[in-house]
Amino acid sequence: MSIDQNDKPEDLPTLGRALLWLDTKKNVDRIVYGLYIVCAILFTADFLYHKHVYLGVEEFPGFYALYGFFMCAALVISAKIMRLFLKRPEDYYAPYDVESEKYPEDQLERKTHDG
Amino acid sequence: MAETFPIAFLFFAGAAGLLALPKGHARAALLLAVPVVACLFVWSLPEGNLWTVRFFNLDLEFMRVDRLSRIFALIFTIAAFLGNLYAWHVRDTVQQLAALLYAGSAIGAVFAGDLITLFFYWEGTAITSVFLIWARRTEGAYHTGVRYLIVQVGSGVLLLAGAALFYRESGSIAFDKMTLGSIGTWLIFLAFGIKCAFPLLHNWLQDAYPAATVTGTVVLSAFTTKLAVYALARGFPGTEMLIYIGAVMTLFPIFFAVIENDLRRVLAYSLNNQLGFMVVGIGIGTELSLNGTAAHAFAHILYKALLFMSVGAVLFRTGTAKGSELGGLYKTMPLTMIFCVIGAASISAFPLFSGFISKSLILSAASHDGYYIVWAILLFASAGVFHHSGIKIPYFAFFAHDSGLRPKEAPLHMLLAMGLTAFLCVAIGVFPGPLYALLPFDVDYVPYTTTHVVTQLQLLFFSALAFTVLMRTGIYPPELKSVNLDTDWTYRRLMPVLIGSVSGVLSKVWAAQSNFTQTRIRAVIARLYHSHGPEGRMAQSWPTGSMVIWIAVLLGFTLIVNFLS
Amino acid sequence: MATETTHHVAMTLSDHLPVLAILVPFVAAPLCVLLGSRSLTWPITFLASAASFVTSFLLLLSVIDGGFISYHIGGWAPPLGIEYRVDAANAFVLFLVTGISTIVLPYARESVKSEIPERHHTLFYACFLLCLTGLLGVAVTGDAFNVFVFLEISSLSTYVLIAQGSYRDRRALTAAYDYLIMGTIGATFFVIGLGMLYMATGTLNMADLADRIADQGANRTVRAAFAFIVVGIGLKVAIYPLHLWLPNAYTYAPSAVTAFLAATATKVAVYVLMRFLFSVFQPSFLFEVNTLEFMIIPFAILAMFAASFIAIFQTDLKRLLAYSSIAQIGYMLLGIGLLNESGVAAAVAHLFNHGITKAVLFMGVGALVLRSGGSFFDRIEGMGKLMPWTSAAIVIGGLSLIGVPGTAGFLSKWLLVQGALEKGWWPIAILVVLSSLLAVIYVWRIVEAMYLRSPASDIEAKEAPLSMLVPIWIMAIACIYFGFATDITLTASHTAAQGLLAGPVGLH
Repeated sequence: MSIDQNDKPEDLPTLGRALLWLDTKKNVDRIVYGLYIVCAILFTADFLYHKHVYLGVEEFPGFYALYGFFMCAALVISAKIMRLFLKRPEDYYAPYDVESEKYPEDQLERKTHDG
Repeated sequence: MAETFPIAFLFFAGAAGLLALPKGHARAALLLAVPVVACLFVWSLPEGNLWTVRFFNLDLEFMRVDRLSRIFALIFTIAAFLGNLYAWHVRDTVQQLAALLYAGSAIGAVFAGDLITLFFYWEGTAITSVFLIWARRTEGAYHTGVRYLIVQVGSGVLLLAGAALFYRESGSIAFDKMTLGSIGTWLIFLAFGIKCAFPLLHNWLQDAYPAATVTGTVVLSAFTTKLAVYALARGFPGTEMLIYIGAVMTLFPIFFAVIENDLRRVLAYSLNNQLGFMVVGIGIGTELSLNGTAAHAFAHILYKALLFMSVGAVLFRTGTAKGSELGGLYKTMPLTMIFCVIGAASISAFPLFSGFISKSLILSAASHDGYYIVWAILLFASAGVFHHSGIKIPYFAFFAHDSGLRPKEAPLHMLLAMGLTAFLCVAIGVFPGPLYALLPFDVDYVPYTTTHVVTQLQLLFFSALAFTVLMRTGIYPPELKSVNLDTDWTYRRLMPVLIGSVSGVLSKVWAAQSNFTQTRIRAVIARLYHSHGPEGRMAQSWPTGSMVIWIAVLLGFTLIVNFLS
Repeated sequence: MATETTHHVAMTLSDHLPVLAILVPFVAAPLCVLLGSRSLTWPITFLASAASFVTSFLLLLSVIDGGFISYHIGGWAPPLGIEYRVDAANAFVLFLVTGISTIVLPYARESVKSEIPERHHTLFYACFLLCLTGLLGVAVTGDAFNVFVFLEISSLSTYVLIAQGSYRDRRALTAAYDYLIMGTIGATFFVIGLGMLYMATGTLNMADLADRIADQGANRTVRAAFAFIVVGIGLKVAIYPLHLWLPNAYTYAPSAVTAFLAATATKVAVYVLMRFLFSVFQPSFLFEVNTLEFMIIPFAILAMFAASFIAIFQTDLKRLLAYSSIAQIGYMLLGIGLLNESGVAAAVAHLFNHGITKAVLFMGVGALVLRSGGSFFDRIEGMGKLMPWTSAAIVIGGLSLIGVPGTAGFLSKWLLVQGALEKGWWPIAILVVLSSLLAVIYVWRIVEAMYLRSPASDIEAKEAPLSMLVPIWIMAIACIYFGFATDITLTASHTAAQGLLAGPVGLH
């Protein structure tokens, strides 16, 4: 997330100005650290209450956490491998496909924020 | 209400009325009024077969109202209202008509109590909806629309064939619970399966939805597939095969969604994945799971529409919906971003959002009935859907690297539509009671238990953690300008090549043959002209004597025949 | 023919309907000549025709459910006296003939004015009335010799009527002459046949003839008589290849005459043929079945194709339609040859449907001739724009000629195909459909010329006068009306077919 020097806070909508907070690397890092902490808390939460479960495997502490983490990692990695085989240029199906076409301008209402 | 009438007719009448109005706000207002009136009617309908037409010796049931059909009709009217509000700015008569007729057909199909009526509305949804794709008016959209139409109409044809066979086997055209076994029921099942985007029959969905117009996709996302879900829930509840079909359906689209660049296509894949949950619910076939399917369809239509709306708004303002070209929009489109996040949270089933209270019904049903593998797959798919719909969509559209685009916030009516939808998503998530009351069976289920909330949060946050880690380490595949092959490659590339080469040979043979025939025919015509033409022997004026000869010949001939017999 | 005689029971006017239908035009004809007033001729003619039409309609109503009326001329009972007998079959023919003449007459007024010098008009209409009388007499009479008499009345007046075309094209004279020779030979054959029958049976009343032939069975005299009668009538019917008089006669006759003759004359002849084949002779005679199978059907099919091919290549619209008539007669003969109820019903229905179809077409062509000065294709090009109403009516007639569903022509072809299939002769059913395709081609040629070409530069045609358009459109609408209201034609033709196929029994 690079900082766009041209963004003048006073040009942005109020909400956008507030969100400019995200524009700094340090704050993004703070969010990430916050996520780590939340995850750690959630993981330990498993030891603090009685689970009502149907399956044996669910009782394993942090099962949902680990399952979510590793399955997602596996998902991304296998998708990345799939891409090696499946990726084609954008105009592969052209002209029988919308992928490489511009969206017709007359159906849009392009407006830049300060324009 | 003393007099009932098919709710679908309200939409058709609205479409006719639309043409009488001048273009502009009057039309847009009518487009909003029709679903509202329809919604009120649906709400107040009593149960039963309310409108029967006798056609030859068949009873056509236009209004079979029960709890299952009512909840689907209700959400369809709501979706039509939201979609039309979102499309307030559209002045294209074709799209407005298509949206009304399409919604009307879908509602008509939901209330259809027999297979013939179902077929007519089934084809109605196909034929009307394609105009939402063609309305983009580009060559690619045209071809995509044609592919879409072929598949959809094909599904209708299978349905009709199946209905005919079913009628012959059972002597009934009633649309009720069927059991697979005969060819007729299999054909009907296949017809539903195509529209429901079963694995390998799914391509039309990812192909067509991103090709529709900004507003068209929102409308498209609501009806066709959910109609198929309704039809399956009505016709084949408890068909075990559906559990496995549904499980595969939840699974494979998420892989494609991760590497897909076009955000609207990512949403189409995740739509497919969500359908999988519903199909599993139908397959399990218990009261809990069927409730789950209905509830999930209800919630899903809303949050999926919300997601399509927010991405659509981005497309509307920037001219693209591709992850590789977007990013950093949160500064100037913060409201759209927030609504998108609410939609993402809903589809990811965060507690307090609508997906949480509907999806858990299906997952619980799976684990209750001992489908452990299926349950594990659904869990994985839940994490996966959060991964690509919940994080990827908002992240690549509004955050990620700054694209430099500084579009203006979405227009007011879009914000209103998104705001309303977002409100419903949250409201359903926080107060599930009213939705549960609408479900086909009585509900005895509490979604908010400590275990459920904590485990769900664990699953989601650790998925987010995985995303963050992969992103930060650069392992996460970047958004690239590309298309990815799916099974549609077989009919979009392989088949044309095969057919092309075969037809090349055939056309040569044909050309040679027709050339030969033409020469022959020309010779025959020349000969005919020679004999029968104005100067030919047959047509010229004969001398009187020759006519007399003919008389004699004929008389002689007749006499011979007479005397010999 | 005194109505006050006491020998028979006919006491009221309605009992005299059968003879009135003939008598009115028969008396009107000399009246025209005697009065000699050009202004009165046409009204008298029209009134006479209309009166006959009303009479015929009443007759049709009273016999359509299967009964018959026997009228004894002068009160002399048959077989000695002459008997007029009306049943569904000939009431239908009477209805057609008087209907066509009543509709053609208003049309004829303008057309005749432009094609025939005014001093001949009185005689022309007198001949027209005589011709009408003859055709009606042929249909209504139950006496075989009386058929011959009326046939000659109609034929002789027809020759004159055709010859009137000579003011437009001198070739009308040769056409009339040819027809005279041929027609006379045909009539002679017919009367020879009658003579033989009289020799064998001693009677001329049809019912009586039928009885006696049935009693004595097939002997050589009867067979010979049969051959002569079939060939003799066949000539008037224009059975292929005895059609050679027809194209020239139709082409060169005045337009109104062509319209009238094409719609009626051959149809009446077909009726006579059916009457003799089925009522006088036994349909069960082997020689008759063989004649039908080996002569009538093959020539009918030949006509369907050969005449259609000729029509396709014609450059003169009137001639094209004349050849198409020959082909259409093929359908009727084929229906007769099938010898089952559907087939004969098809023949009767086609007789009617083709009558009104050809009336539209020939009247339409007459209107074109009036405005553009010729019926060759180069004269009618672009008429779709210049004369839209006439052209549209011609298109409707063309569609009916093809047998497009929703037009009159469809019904009879449908019956014909049904008849062939009932008999198990599906190749013939296919041939019927194939030959209809040929009709598509020549009708398309007409449409193409009228609508897709631009008119010749020297033509400044305007729409035909209303007095012609109205009759044309009455017929065009009839083509469509009878295409949808099929039960009228169906009932009448089935009743007629049942009566005819009942053989001599049908005469009692």
